[in-house]
Amino acid sequence: MLLNGKFLLSAEYEKIAEKKLFNGEVLSEFKLPNGLKVIFLPRHEAKVLTFQTWFDIGSLDEKMDTKLKKTGLAHLFEHMMFRGTDKYPDGKFDELTSRMGSEKQNATTYFYRTNYYESVPSNQLKKLLELESDRMANLKLDGALLEKEKGAVVGELRRALDNPGRIAWDELNRTVFEVAPFRYTVIGTEEEIKGFTLEEAQYFYKTFYAPNNATIIVVGDTSEEELMKWIVKYYGDMKAQEIPRYKMPDEPNQKKERRVEKTHPQATSDILLVGYRIPAVNSEDIVPLSLLSTHLSTGMEARLRKSLVDTGIAVSAGCGVSNVPDYLEFSVSLSEKHKAEEALSIIDREVSLLKSQMIKKDDFERALNQELLSLYNMIEDNSSMANMLGDYLMVSGNYMRGFEIIDQFKKLKTTDLKAVAKKYLNKESRSVVIVRPQPKKSSRS
Amino acid sequence: MFRTGLICIFLSSLVLAKSKESFRAAPPSQNGVPASPTVFYERNTSGLTSDISVIVMTGSLEDPIDKVGLSNLVAEMVLRGTKKKSRDKFQSELERMGGTLSANVSLDTIQFSGSVIKENNKKFLALLEEALLQPAFNEKDFQELKREILNDIVHVKNSNGRLGGLAARREIFKGTPLERSGFGSQSTVEKITLADVQRRYNDYFDRPKIVFAAAAPFPESEMLDAFSNIWRQFPDGKRPAKKMVNLKVPEKPTLIVVDKPKTSTGSLFFAQAGISIQDPDRYTLNTGNFSFGGEPLVSRLFRIVRGELGWTYAIGSSYSTLGGLSGQQGLYTISSTPSVEYTSKTIFKILDMWKSYLNEGLSSDELELAKDSLINSYPFEFDTAAKRVSHKLTSFLYNIPILSPEEYAEKIGEISNRKLKSALKEKQKANGWVIALVADKDVVNKDLEEYQKDIPKEERLTISKVYTPDELVN
Repeated sequence: MLLNGKFLLSAEYEKIAEKKLFNGEVLSEFKLPNGLKVIFLPRHEAKVLTFQTWFDIGSLDEKMDTKLKKTGLAHLFEHMMFRGTDKYPDGKFDELTSRMGSEKQNATTYFYRTNYYESVPSNQLKKLLELESDRMANLKLDGALLEKEKGAVVGELRRALDNPGRIAWDELNRTVFEVAPFRYTVIGTEEEIKGFTLEEAQYFYKTFYAPNNATIIVVGDTSEEELMKWIVKYYGDMKAQEIPRYKMPDEPNQKKERRVEKTHPQATSDILLVGYRIPAVNSEDIVPLSLLSTHLSTGMEARLRKSLVDTGIAVSAGCGVSNVPDYLEFSVSLSEKHKAEEALSIIDREVSLLKSQMIKKDDFERALNQELLSLYNMIEDNSSMANMLGDYLMVSGNYMRGFEIIDQFKKLKTTDLKAVAKKYLNKESRSVVIVRPQPKKSSRS
Repeated sequence: MFRTGLICIFLSSLVLAKSKESFRAAPPSQNGVPASPTVFYERNTSGLTSDISVIVMTGSLEDPIDKVGLSNLVAEMVLRGTKKKSRDKFQSELERMGGTLSANVSLDTIQFSGSVIKENNKKFLALLEEALLQPAFNEKDFQELKREILNDIVHVKNSNGRLGGLAARREIFKGTPLERSGFGSQSTVEKITLADVQRRYNDYFDRPKIVFAAAAPFPESEMLDAFSNIWRQFPDGKRPAKKMVNLKVPEKPTLIVVDKPKTSTGSLFFAQAGISIQDPDRYTLNTGNFSFGGEPLVSRLFRIVRGELGWTYAIGSSYSTLGGLSGQQGLYTISSTPSVEYTSKTIFKILDMWKSYLNEGLSSDELELAKDSLINSYPFEFDTAAKRVSHKLTSFLYNIPILSPEEYAEKIGEISNRKLKSALKEKQKANGWVIALVADKDVVNKDLEEYQKDIPKEERLTISKVYTPDELVN
């Protein structure tokens, strides 16, 4: 409630911000006394809404946690959140949300966060909040169910291990980071997954699944009054916890190029990944770096597509800014008759051009308008909009950061792109990973 | 709503909350040859982009069996430059204005889909017109495109899921254009010439086969004028002839292995004959499938094979409809990626669960769950302008009604287990499965022998054919 420019503070919740988006929509941010944050964007085109819960906990924290010191539990635990409470035993959460017509219901875990999400008809909001708050506060961790879920997670891990592209990405993180826990995979190893105990899961739940470590994001057909009434009812009594915060070990400055080559039995052609260290998402340099990556990789006219795919050297070629872990990643899937080294020399050539020449005005306009198109398409969908807000909140502490970056694009000059290319795209601060097919056995052997 | 000779269904954004009338199917054209373009449009006043589709009623089912992939090449070549603009100039102009344009080929349609930031809507429509009516069909661009497509086809060897689908196609659609994917294979794409592309374009890009659909923030008259202008410049022609292929379904489960050494999971793809998009039992069978395997987290396959047994991360089933214009019979498929040591167990468990489903249908809880979920999630089918337009388009193309929420609830509500069992008995086979498994053939063989050691040899499931990934992409 906005009164004469001041926010009304109630005992139940506080409205801490109201933001007008570029398209005229207005979103609000609330906070409960127990620390739970709520971001709400009303939309009434259809009688549906998206509900997401973001926890500020991912695999980085568990690796640094003095009681755990291993990875995989944040992800395994995410699976266990679907395994029942006293009130709604195993399977009941899925059954009831499905009956209410939920769509896109699932959860994901990453280095820095875990999120749970679904979209439901808006008349199901109250019931959904009851179910979501129940599993956040009253999860019943059962040893037998934990063992069963480990089987599914091992299946997920093995499926990833059969994918050479995924292995290349894991290897890139291991190569870029010598110290920081990005070098350990989110899903953990098979040994780690199988070894987690019920006690560790309970510790993890009690420690990290607290209201002051969570943000709820709602986009869709409800009102502030309706939403906050039920949020207060179902989440208001939860107790804040002391959340351990760990300082990420300082990654030593990289002074020379790192290069790793591997083979994979399922690979049929070379895969090349290159990661250049860049600053965190809140840095001003992220703005020109983001547009630079769009110039290189978005659309049929993108530089990498023209020089690698149109020439038949690669099947696909892309470039993108990765936030937490922070690097600019080039990825190329070579076609069968070509080698990763060819693609690497072309990337070098393109990078060299970026450093020595201004990109053309037409190319700059192309990248900018492609970014706008992408943003406009993304925010039209309730769940994509919620994802964007949540992800930027988790990586930067500022859910508006995505909009800020787009806004700042318009102020950029071509010289800014050249400057960041010179500053960050240097061989000595990059890591190169090549995954190749295993050599074929000779017919004589 | 009709406007000056155009068939146009104009949908308000309140379509669901208003009356059933908003769901009227498009009026049929006369004698199969329309006198004006068919356009489905919804004005989305708050939209920041224009989303536009042009559908040409021809697809990969028309491809000669030795040149499968021709439709795809035609579609892609339409977007590779015009008589006035080189490929680079065309693409650069498109992307600079904040637009995208791509082509997607199904069995019976080529769909050009584009999106542009609203400020450049007019420029986009002009470019679209030029692409559709004056494609360059340049030999150099054609050779580059062929090389790119051939590289993509070969790269499918990296995807175990897609290899399983290709292996199943080879059996079920043997001797028809559908035995390969719509992209074709190395051997079929190699044979296609630029003259083939030009001929196909000349023969099929005509007025009766073209339909427009769009959601944009502009008055409908503006968009309809533009579409009408494009449409009028195409030659006259005929509605497409109906074309169908017969499925070859085995009498007993037939196991095909795509040999991929050293996999740690097996990629399983069960396929048998399904139903057409117009099948009168489609609501019943889709409702049954929802609780049998269609819906992750709650379906029987998921709950048991993943939740209780922990053998796999992913398992699911679906009806895929093919060739809606002709009423082509589609496929029913079950797919899963069990850990390699559970592959045989998973195959036999799925077969057992399928037989039980076929004989017993669903429990009352499962049936009610499916019905509640489908009815309550129906609003998501219409929650954006683009989705609403897409439904109208599908309804027109495939002659299937769009149901209002009340009609849909009634239709789903009346489904009983008896009705489900009857539909399953009529439409599905207990044993008519092609089972494609992408895994190490030696490991599969050993595992099957071990698992079936107590079963008489003549009753055992054995590998009936082994493909290499190379064979499937060739």
